[in-house]
Amino acid sequence: MKSLSNSMRIFLGGAVLSYKALFRWFRLEPYIATKIIAPLNQILFFTLLGSFATGRDTASFYAIGNAIQLTAMSGIYGVTMSIGGERNEGTLIYLFGSPANRLLTFLGRALVHILDGMIGVVIGLTWTGLLLGVDFSRADLPALGLTILIATVSTSGLGLLMGCVSLVTVNVMFINNTIYFLLLVFSGANVPLANFPTWVQHAAYALPLTRGIQAARLVISGSSLGEVAPLLTGEALIGVVYVLIGYVLFSWFEVTAKRRGTLEAY
Amino acid sequence: MIANLRVVLTTFELDVKQQAVDLFMIFGVVIQPLLIAIMAIYMLLERDPSRGIYVVVGSGMTGLWTSLLFRGTFNINAERFMGTLEGIVASPSSLATVVMGKTLASVTLSFLSMIFSYGLASIVFRFPLTIAQPLPFFVSLLVTIPAFISFGLLISPLMAVNLSLSGWVNALEYPMYILGGFLFPILLLPDWSNPLSYVLAPYWAARVLHATSSGSATLSDILLSWGMMLVLSGIYMAASYRLFRIVLHRARVEATLSMM
Repeated sequence: MKSLSNSMRIFLGGAVLSYKALFRWFRLEPYIATKIIAPLNQILFFTLLGSFATGRDTASFYAIGNAIQLTAMSGIYGVTMSIGGERNEGTLIYLFGSPANRLLTFLGRALVHILDGMIGVVIGLTWTGLLLGVDFSRADLPALGLTILIATVSTSGLGLLMGCVSLVTVNVMFINNTIYFLLLVFSGANVPLANFPTWVQHAAYALPLTRGIQAARLVISGSSLGEVAPLLTGEALIGVVYVLIGYVLFSWFEVTAKRRGTLEAY
Repeated sequence: MIANLRVVLTTFELDVKQQAVDLFMIFGVVIQPLLIAIMAIYMLLERDPSRGIYVVVGSGMTGLWTSLLFRGTFNINAERFMGTLEGIVASPSSLATVVMGKTLASVTLSFLSMIFSYGLASIVFRFPLTIAQPLPFFVSLLVTIPAFISFGLLISPLMAVNLSLSGWVNALEYPMYILGGFLFPILLLPDWSNPLSYVLAPYWAARVLHATSSGSATLSDILLSWGMMLVLSGIYMAASYRLFRIVLHRARVEATLSMM
């Protein structure tokens, strides 16, 4: 029992501290700029571009796609930097030297970013309703909430994997930026997957968000939770696969770095 | 004059070398515009393959702006973080001249965005790309350079004077894509936003480059865009001059250069 409560303390404490470490330097103004205004700008740009390309009736396709894709801001950038920050700030050596449960330590880095990412998506969807006329009247809101949660968790899974990559490279922002834009292109947020060549479509389904965005569009247009359950199950499984790969890498990097004495060497 | 030119060229050379290996710049100038071009190709060219050159110019403009915005923001601030700003301010060369060389490097490298987008659309996607009015197009590109440099000279001291503004840099990227009409006309935007576009040199640059590349430009359109870019460049330079004076005042009189 004591061991369980200790594990939970490490999990929750690590989650909150890693988030604070990342954002405590932020003041309210830049936070609003990054988390509220910048997402709105992304939604507006791609919705206008999509409307120009295919007509105003399709605006909600782009608006919803981009609002859900916003979760990658927390899921990719936030989670990655939470893990990579340990190395940048010189705390990795203490983390790996502690007896704390590695899996909980690893997963804890994503927890607050998942909440933050979900809030980001809700803000994005609110913008789409207020400014772009997206109609939520037929949406099953609990199903939409579950869709946002699963898409966010799944994206954070990729973030955890990228966080491990950040332990062996100094160019993590380059990788993060590229991953964020690849999701924007190939997750179906802006381009219907059917427009891509078949091999690209297969690759797109190996990404997080692809099924989540599809499910969100369906739920908002009136589909029930049962109808989107296969998509959500697939999205969750993709997330689990990324988390597992990330954890295996995390453990392997720890063992290898300790053996070679390269814990803080890039 | 010659001494200033030498400073500009030396700074330009050094900054080109630094930016060419800076992965953040490589992303902004090459990767991001290419990914935007891929998106735009699948979004815009499904219905109308003749828009290929429009996508090339538009995605190239996004690279130009992204590079100008981020480099402009950190041109002075980066020197401050590295502890070299005091040395530059104390040297006989003016800070504005040094920043001009750095901005010229960003703008020059940013034209790679358009070249890479052209290569992507023509080689990978095999779209027939022709510039309908080549001479006006290339002259327009030349006029775009001072317009972007003067805009960059406005951004750098503005961000140095007000450090909290640099927190807004991520939020300023897409608005220019939108107001500049890079990948769709500003006719899609509400009328009240049009005056905002008119005071932005990148809007006039995108307008004339789109028109001359697609062949829809009349002589009066071209002259209007060139004229507006030159007038706006003058206004940006005047505003920039005032801002650089504030930066130098803080450095030399208030001695708060590192604390801004």
